Amino acid sequence: MEIEGYLKKDYITNLVGEGKRADGRRFDEYRSIVLENNYSGEKACGSCLVHLGKTKVIAGVSLDIGEPYSDKPNDGVMSTSAELRPIASPRFESGPPNDESIEVARVVDRGIRESGAIDTKKLFVEDDLVWIAFIDLHILDHCGNLIDAAGIAAISALLNTRMPKYEDGKIIYGEYSGKMPIKCVPIPCTTVKIGNSLLMDPDTDEEYAMDARLTVATTDIVNAMQKGGNGAFKEEEIMSAVDMAFEKGGQIRKIVTGD
Amino acid sequence: MSGDDDVILIKDGKRLDGRGFEEVRNIKMEVSVLDRAQGSAYIEWGKNRIIVGVYGPRELHPKFLQDPTKAMLRCVYNLAPFSVEERKKPGPDRRSVEISKVAAEALSSVVMLERFPNTVIDVFIEVLQADAGTRCAGLTAASLALADAGIPMKDLVAACSAGKIQGQVVVDLMKEEDNFGQCDLPMAIVPRKKEVVLLQMDGKLTREEFNSAYALAFDGCMKVYELQKNTLLASMKKFVGEGGEENGD
Amino acid sequence: MLNVKDRDLVLPGQNLGNELFFDLNCYSEDGVVYSAVEGMVRVDGRKVKVVPSSGGYIPKEEDVVIGVVAEVLSGKWLIDINSAYLCSMRGEEVTREKKDLSQFYKAGDVITAKVARVNEVYSCELIKPWKMESGLIIDVNPKRIPRVVGKQKSMLNMLREKTGSRIIVGQNGKIWLKDGKVDLAVKTIKRIERYAQKQGLTDMIAESLARETASN
Repeated sequence: MEIEGYLKKDYITNLVGEGKRADGRRFDEYRSIVLENNYSGEKACGSCLVHLGKTKVIAGVSLDIGEPYSDKPNDGVMSTSAELRPIASPRFESGPPNDESIEVARVVDRGIRESGAIDTKKLFVEDDLVWIAFIDLHILDHCGNLIDAAGIAAISALLNTRMPKYEDGKIIYGEYSGKMPIKCVPIPCTTVKIGNSLLMDPDTDEEYAMDARLTVATTDIVNAMQKGGNGAFKEEEIMSAVDMAFEKGGQIRKIVTGD
Repeated sequence: MSGDDDVILIKDGKRLDGRGFEEVRNIKMEVSVLDRAQGSAYIEWGKNRIIVGVYGPRELHPKFLQDPTKAMLRCVYNLAPFSVEERKKPGPDRRSVEISKVAAEALSSVVMLERFPNTVIDVFIEVLQADAGTRCAGLTAASLALADAGIPMKDLVAACSAGKIQGQVVVDLMKEEDNFGQCDLPMAIVPRKKEVVLLQMDGKLTREEFNSAYALAFDGCMKVYELQKNTLLASMKKFVGEGGEENGD
Repeated sequence: MLNVKDRDLVLPGQNLGNELFFDLNCYSEDGVVYSAVEGMVRVDGRKVKVVPSSGGYIPKEEDVVIGVVAEVLSGKWLIDINSAYLCSMRGEEVTREKKDLSQFYKAGDVITAKVARVNEVYSCELIKPWKMESGLIIDVNPKRIPRVVGKQKSMLNMLREKTGSRIIVGQNGKIWLKDGKVDLAVKTIKRIERYAQKQGLTDMIAESLARETASN
């Protein structure tokens, strides 16, 4: 049981009312972001371990050959899954994905899929055969804002993904030819509402104290959104969150692409 | 183990990665690497990259699982889907369940479970990159993570494997040797009493070859133990007062 | 006979000597005493004990702890102090009448209390509770708490004075703060936690507090 949560909600709410955050950040400031690209580079086609503050998420990309969807016969396939491993928090348990991990997977997936980040046309191999990209999100240390950490890890992993060699009907593991065709870099940005204020990149305590949260994934347009939490947003708060997501998304994109 | 005669695993007296027959791969260890877990450790062993987190002792639910004489030690060994070249579907498979079991048993032999009845100690072994010998590397790191969590133990557990490739008994198999070799023998020991707490074997060994393999694995374990000790001492030096201010004890 | 000197760093399974008296962080086999944890060994004549350098909180009599009411039963409460076991607190600590105890403390309430008795499985009884109504509770590694308090409370008193905050330190790794410059107090405590091993820590903290309060 995490006992500090009980008093912290009041403390954080009061602090926010005074315009401050417990760790001294500005409301629109992200914690430090460190990327370890190719973390599992000896085995995975693409991978990245992201440190977002103390939150640690690793994304791995694996490629396989298979049948396309019947309504998109010329497009490759992408599939995202997330595991909130019990190592990451005393609250997580072993077992099949629960609604929290499924939400992380689906929100990250939408940002990447809807933005067309993966050029699926280039994943076509021949009739009835396309590349299937599996994006696996592995949460290792939950210190707040899993969706953003996972989303940044996923797109970073995709950017360093190499395509395996495919010869004579077989994938030759360990040998590569070319990189995954990526057209854009979607970044999810999560804002939470505490009292009447909006804060970006919530840590564990702020997530506990929040009324509601809004994740917005952007490229140069909006590609995905997800509202979470039991509270409600006013219209101007949503517009504000979207604006901040564009701005912060741009800054984080520079870190991811190394510009 | 295929014992494939076509694959050359030894050339000019050296293995594919340049090692001698009695040479263990490069190993790096670190403790206290996670924030939420009460104890944690990271190990790089050759190309293996594994993180272990420990929680507990903590209340065990449901209540009917509680043992009034001692704590339960649960271990979950898990391969991340991207940790191997051909993606592994998420979720436990039979191999992971078996490894979890033998690892839990090895650790249970040293952890003082009777100190904490009705509780559970959870050990999570997350393999992020796998290249043969993950159960030995994972178990070695798990022992460090338990020490990092301050859980009382009779000793550390050190693990290492041996095997046979092209008729030659060697220590610490890597991936190609595991795939195309003739035997794999993972072992874990309790170093002070020199007793074996994990031992598995699959392949073909004559009686004499078994003796050689046992000796190599045992020596490997003792080398790993030295590294474990250095890792824990180095981490302690960072936080224990060097005289001057009292630590209030 | 001793195999270690006072203040040596020891590991689980390390031979400390034989014919010695030892504490719960050691064990003996065939007359030989070994350490059961990683930590620093303290030697006092023929007595050895190991001060663990890691691990959670192990309740000790007389400790002040900060916990959360986990369950209200008839006649007592179960309190979570972030240790291996819940603690119990008898209804008599608060009232002699047979009343519904949740009128006094209900599940989720945060209280400060003293550890009265610890049994052989580190499960304990709490007495002298006091409810915390507001303020902030932060997490600190229980092993660093002695540094936050300091010799004869020197560090804690300095913190209280320079920040003007009310601070209650729970030995179980929880610290309650209210009023005054709580942000500065939290920042400083985190600093103490981080540099716990440094010599001259009190001076270093005194300096940084002086700097922070001067600039305000």
